[in-house]
Amino acid sequence: MLDIAKKIEDGCAYFTLEGRLDTVTSSELENELKDVLYDVDEVVFDLENLDYISSAGLRVLLSTQKNIGEEGSMKVVNVNDTIMEIFDVTGFTDILDIE
Amino acid sequence: MILNDIVGRMKKLRHSVVFKSLFSIIFMLGVFSVIVITIGYRGFTESLLKQYSDGAFRIADTAAMLVEPDRMGEYDSQGEDTQQYQKVWTGFDRLCNSSGATFVYVIEPDTTDYEHIKFIFSTMAEWSGYTKYDYGYLRQTTNDDYKEKYRRLYEEGSQRELVIRDKGYIETDPHITAMIPLKGSDGQTKAILCVQRQMEALASARKNYVRSVIAVLLLSALVFLTGQALYLGRVLLSPVKKISNELGRFAKENTLGEKRLTDTIHNKDEIGMLADSIDSMEEQIVSYVDNITSITAEKERISTELTLASSIQMNMLPNDFSVFSEHTEFDIYASMDPARQVGGDFYDFFMTDDDHLCIVMADVSGKGIPAALFMMASKIILADFAKMGQTPAQILESTNETIAANNPENVFVTVWLGILELSTGRLTAANAGHEYPVLMHEGGSFELLKDKHGFVIGGMTGMKYKEYDVDLKPGSKLFLYTDGVPEATDVHENMFGTGRMLDALNEVTQATPQQIIANVRRAVDDFVKTAEQFDDMTMLCLEYKG
Repeated sequence: MLDIAKKIEDGCAYFTLEGRLDTVTSSELENELKDVLYDVDEVVFDLENLDYISSAGLRVLLSTQKNIGEEGSMKVVNVNDTIMEIFDVTGFTDILDIE
Repeated sequence: MILNDIVGRMKKLRHSVVFKSLFSIIFMLGVFSVIVITIGYRGFTESLLKQYSDGAFRIADTAAMLVEPDRMGEYDSQGEDTQQYQKVWTGFDRLCNSSGATFVYVIEPDTTDYEHIKFIFSTMAEWSGYTKYDYGYLRQTTNDDYKEKYRRLYEEGSQRELVIRDKGYIETDPHITAMIPLKGSDGQTKAILCVQRQMEALASARKNYVRSVIAVLLLSALVFLTGQALYLGRVLLSPVKKISNELGRFAKENTLGEKRLTDTIHNKDEIGMLADSIDSMEEQIVSYVDNITSITAEKERISTELTLASSIQMNMLPNDFSVFSEHTEFDIYASMDPARQVGGDFYDFFMTDDDHLCIVMADVSGKGIPAALFMMASKIILADFAKMGQTPAQILESTNETIAANNPENVFVTVWLGILELSTGRLTAANAGHEYPVLMHEGGSFELLKDKHGFVIGGMTGMKYKEYDVDLKPGSKLFLYTDGVPEATDVHENMFGTGRMLDALNEVTQATPQQIIANVRRAVDDFVKTAEQFDDMTMLCLEYKG
């Protein structure tokens, strides 16, 4: 189960994710992103209440980061310990802009 | 036999719609006929009776004018031979024979109880064949009906009375008797004048009426029923039989007929609608069945392909652990359980030269067929670079460049890769976003090795990886796994976790790699119980023996 709250303001899409970002739910997030990605310069993911992220979820973050391109930017904010450990293990801390 | 056949047919017929319909028509016609005949019979009788009685009273009124009631008493003494009596009687006789009456007579009832009557005048129509009663003829009153009428004429001042005799047993033909009082100048009733008319005309006319009504009704019923039977047979029975036959055929064959029902049934009514509905139902069922058949065939095909793919994938992983039996320096065992038929996890181990064993544990993002395809490529590329003699970090970098260059879907793979120098026990490893390896030195316990992590492979080009060395002593054990193990989840969404994994490992520190893997697997199964396996689960265990 994943709750996706989407807010778009001044060319910035702010996603608050709550629950589990796994194989099933990551395709939901991917669809949500597809709709907005070309209209915004910045994407922010708030992961404060994300319990789990699977490799499929990581793939969505990676794709988003690549698709937003050089002009845009992607940030993840409020990363909790569980998710941060996954980012550490998978090396995503090296490539993500984490605040 | 024939009789049975006929009885059978009759029984069948009794349930036929046409029979039911015709039977109800016959019943209604019967009821209708009874009502019509009764009403007609009554009306007919009443109007004829009125006509007869009106005529009879007219004759009576005319006859009354011939009589002088005051002089009635004279006949007792002088008898009927007087000129005056003869004159009256002649008048009566003429009237009787010319008017169509049967019997014209004057009587004096015995007014004490009206049981007897005395004839004063009486005359019979010649055609009747009766003879007249002489003056003074005494006889008993015919019945109580007459008695009552006499009494009314005498005692209640009644001006007209009518007796009708056309029912029950009567000694003569049906007739009516019209009665009027003959009153003296003192206003008292002196005698009663009666006119009797035969009613055979009425009776026969009535009989004819009833006969013709019945005949007309029977005839029209016959025509109507025949017409109705033919009509029902054509518009109802024959199409319904066609529909029934067609449905029977369809249930057996499940194919469309040569002709649509609406090609042979041209009704524009509900039957036509039914035929049309059945036609389209059959078409839909046939197309549905076709659809299901092709879907099933497609599923079958995919399932066969998946089984084959699964076998190919499993055989890509080294599963004959005896090939290294000449290498007494180590013992190795591994297992891979995909969540679906094919998976994205893989392990690998092979000798890069006589003294170096390369070990790989990897996990492709996602599951199923896409992950399996990616896994195959990754495994081959990693092995290729390893066999070219590169170091672990170089192998990961080269592999990453190769994969990331053509990876629009951004699928990636986490890889732990180590090369063990068998002669020295030195393990050189690099980690591209994979789970921490677990290490146990002889006499110690299994612990997570928090090694340096690089980014996953295939995500981005230009990534660098760092190597590290670990010196294994004889008895050291290395346990590698994919996230399917710590992230195995029970029905309450609790994860197995690395803590439980380490506990399971430490239960069997002295066991062989195969036993160690079996114990972890058992611990995972005990934990998740009935919950569905969610992710691929892969484990590898190496024991360095020196």
